[in-house]
Amino acid sequence: MDPSEVEFLAEKELVKIIPNFSLDKIYLIGGDIGPFNPGMPVEVPVWLALNLKQRQKCRIVQPDWMDVAKLEEIRELERKEATFTPVPSLYYMELTKLLLNHASDNIPKADEIRTLVKDIWDTRIAKLRLSADSFISQQEAHAKLDNLTLMEINTTRSFLLNSLNCMYKLRSNLQPGSSTGKAQDY
Amino acid sequence: MLDALSDDGSNVSGADDALEDLVTPAELIGKLEEAWLNEKFSPELLENKSEMVECVVEQLTHMEANLQRVRKGDVKASVHRMEIDRIRFVLSSYLRSRLQKIETFFPHVLEKEKSRADGDPSFLSPEEFAFTKEYLANTETYLKSVALKHMPPNLQTVDMLKAVPEPCLDSFVFLRVRERQENILVEPETDEQREYVVDLEEGSQHLMRYRTIAPLVSSGAVQLI
Repeated sequence: MDPSEVEFLAEKELVKIIPNFSLDKIYLIGGDIGPFNPGMPVEVPVWLALNLKQRQKCRIVQPDWMDVAKLEEIRELERKEATFTPVPSLYYMELTKLLLNHASDNIPKADEIRTLVKDIWDTRIAKLRLSADSFISQQEAHAKLDNLTLMEINTTRSFLLNSLNCMYKLRSNLQPGSSTGKAQDY
Repeated sequence: MLDALSDDGSNVSGADDALEDLVTPAELIGKLEEAWLNEKFSPELLENKSEMVECVVEQLTHMEANLQRVRKGDVKASVHRMEIDRIRFVLSSYLRSRLQKIETFFPHVLEKEKSRADGDPSFLSPEEFAFTKEYLANTETYLKSVALKHMPPNLQTVDMLKAVPEPCLDSFVFLRVRERQENILVEPETDEQREYVVDLEEGSQHLMRYRTIAPLVSSGAVQLI
């Protein structure tokens, strides 16, 4: 899956904005949004929030978890634990990138937040690499990956799945009387 | 004039009442995205969801017709248009992954479709079925005219089912569990390991072989991610 497709899914998350225009309720196919009143916060999907922000029609309010103190706590917890800790948001990486790229003027301490999220990301990806390595070397058949986000899974997806499939084919061709073996590389 | 856009959109076609309960448009789009992800990550062609596709197309055309009647430059119209583009992307990507799998596994897809019982849901929509048959016929003609007719007479046939590789159902996939499942068998990778069972808790994510969980994907109990 392309990272931009993961970002596409992340853009459906709701975020609070403060519009500077007024508009009554919009009945989208995916749900209702609004009504919009100047100065009153309203929740909209991220794709709409970014578009309105680019047209200078709103101010974006940062999500609750995007706070320096909270992120520092999460980073410390992530560094201590050997397994994956629960994430602040299923799409924390994408939302950080999108919101900080387009609305850093609305979010205080944007640079610190960016650094903290990157640290959390790096720690988790390092853990993911280690566990993928042990998965392959111990030839496990099943793994539970509860607190992993889609973006993290996506970074190793093609490599991990292709190597597992290759190894399976090599193994099953070795065993006598194995399955028909008609599935070849294509 | 803006009344056209104030239509609250809960107008699902009557055609699918016979097949499923009335779903709201939001649920329909949710189902489309689930089907998109499942089709993208599954190694084989999944069940055909033509009623859902028809409903989505109907919603899109309905909304576009409304937009035609509104003057340009309206804020609401641009928002609706953005949403239409997003839904259309998911729909096209879904149909494209199905076509790609059909082109890769065409003889097996046709075989599966021919050998299913009458009551079972079909894997191919009528248009996809026609496309697959044409693709098979074209490939056979191509092979014949390029190579086979120059071969000795007793070697001039090729069995497509053997020539084209099958989808590898033993590929590993990532999945998220929507309904709790018990006692899913995990087969061993090496000879020294035993097979064991795992329980799939709701909301958990796993990495395992597709073959064991294939029926759960069709029933909607797990979601491929």
